[in-house]
Amino acid sequence: MKKFDYIAPGTLDEAVGALAEHSAHCKLLAGGTDLLVDLKHTLEGPQVVIGLDNVDELRGIEETAVGLRIGAMVTHTEVMESPLIASHAPAMISAARTIGAVQTRNMGTIGGNLVTCVPSMDSGPVLVALDAMVTLAGAGGTRQLPLTDFFVGPRQSALEPDELLVDILIPQAMLGRAASFLKFGLRKGQALALVNAAASVSVMGDEITEVRIALGAVAPTVIRAVEAESVVAGRNPTDAAAVSEAAEVAVTEARPIDDFRASADYRRRLIAVGTRRVLTEALGRARSESMRGAPVG
Amino acid sequence: MAEVELRINGVIRRADVAPEMTLLSALRDTWGLTGSKLGCDVGDCGACTVLLDGLSVNACLLLAVQADGREVLTIEGLGGLDYLHPLQAAFERLSSYQCGFCAPGMIISAKELIDKSAVPTELEIREALSGNLCRCTGYTKVVEAIADVCREQAAAVGSPSGSDGG
Repeated sequence: MKKFDYIAPGTLDEAVGALAEHSAHCKLLAGGTDLLVDLKHTLEGPQVVIGLDNVDELRGIEETAVGLRIGAMVTHTEVMESPLIASHAPAMISAARTIGAVQTRNMGTIGGNLVTCVPSMDSGPVLVALDAMVTLAGAGGTRQLPLTDFFVGPRQSALEPDELLVDILIPQAMLGRAASFLKFGLRKGQALALVNAAASVSVMGDEITEVRIALGAVAPTVIRAVEAESVVAGRNPTDAAAVSEAAEVAVTEARPIDDFRASADYRRRLIAVGTRRVLTEALGRARSESMRGAPVG
Repeated sequence: MAEVELRINGVIRRADVAPEMTLLSALRDTWGLTGSKLGCDVGDCGACTVLLDGLSVNACLLLAVQADGREVLTIEGLGGLDYLHPLQAAFERLSSYQCGFCAPGMIISAKELIDKSAVPTELEIREALSGNLCRCTGYTKVVEAIADVCREQAAAVGSPSGSDGG
């Protein structure tokens, strides 16, 4: 690796200050599972690396008045082992367990995964399906925006050079929402997604009242398939034809590419199958919860 | 340079390290602990796996300065020639490795697994090893060795001799 200076701020204010001072030539280090690989292969590295290990404000998972707050430095293993996530957003656990291998999940963070803005990231789809917000902090203060607006393009986020991702918020109304995640890879372990998909649904009696479908690795960013959503919204949760129709519509909303892992055509087939499966599974969960008398939605 | 102090295999170690030095490089080149191997150097092969505060990590993807104040376990700390850890003994007994390059990482990953889960299923064992690549022997004997150790430990806990006699 090229030489750099290392700064380890102890608070969020210090981290923001360090970032403001060095933003033109620094990198933030969260779990390092992507950054260190990049630093080993870059010809021109950063002059300063700001390690975020000691910034407590970036850690922790807690329920607040407005929803479930997940610190950007929470690792994928912590997501998988969190009782709060298990009860409020279990689809996040399905997604986290498909990321890398144990070593990667022990170090890699949810915030680090999101800021890469790699279209195949596995943390994105479930959070988009759960209408997550992100909090960014910079020298000018903090701001909150929908995760869908945070994803700008491949490897491009809405972060200004002097900003960092602080936390992710799943809004109160989405906690416990029936949801599902699925990933297609070339193998089971350490695979990048060829296509991944997530859906969340709310069912009231015989009607699907709310639905969100998110797809990854099929466009420059993780996307919502809003037209597919409108196909199933208002339909009966047992209407398999509606689900199949939505799956076909989702294909038309995606812009998959050919690459060395899969052809665009194969990806289109996976989008249809994946969308159908996540919708079917989420609807099944919503219906079994409503039959158990648990609050639906 | 930055001064770091960490506990490696129960021993406090101090060194001045360059900020860009990985923990793996510090272990091997500064402290002479060459059991952890440099394989792919990008976090895919798991040959450099060590436990950091009890969790398996790729030492090639961690800066030495990040390990400051923390606890590291390498294969050397698990056992040696005078005492083999049950996992090391089982790998030897079942000939679970051939060239041996992946074995330290495999055994460290297995250590995390058996610390977390006393009786893992075969699927859980295979999942726990998905970050450790073997390019010569394969995984069957590795999985058998780990399953063997788990069975032994479960039997020891369940038998009278394994209890406190009360």
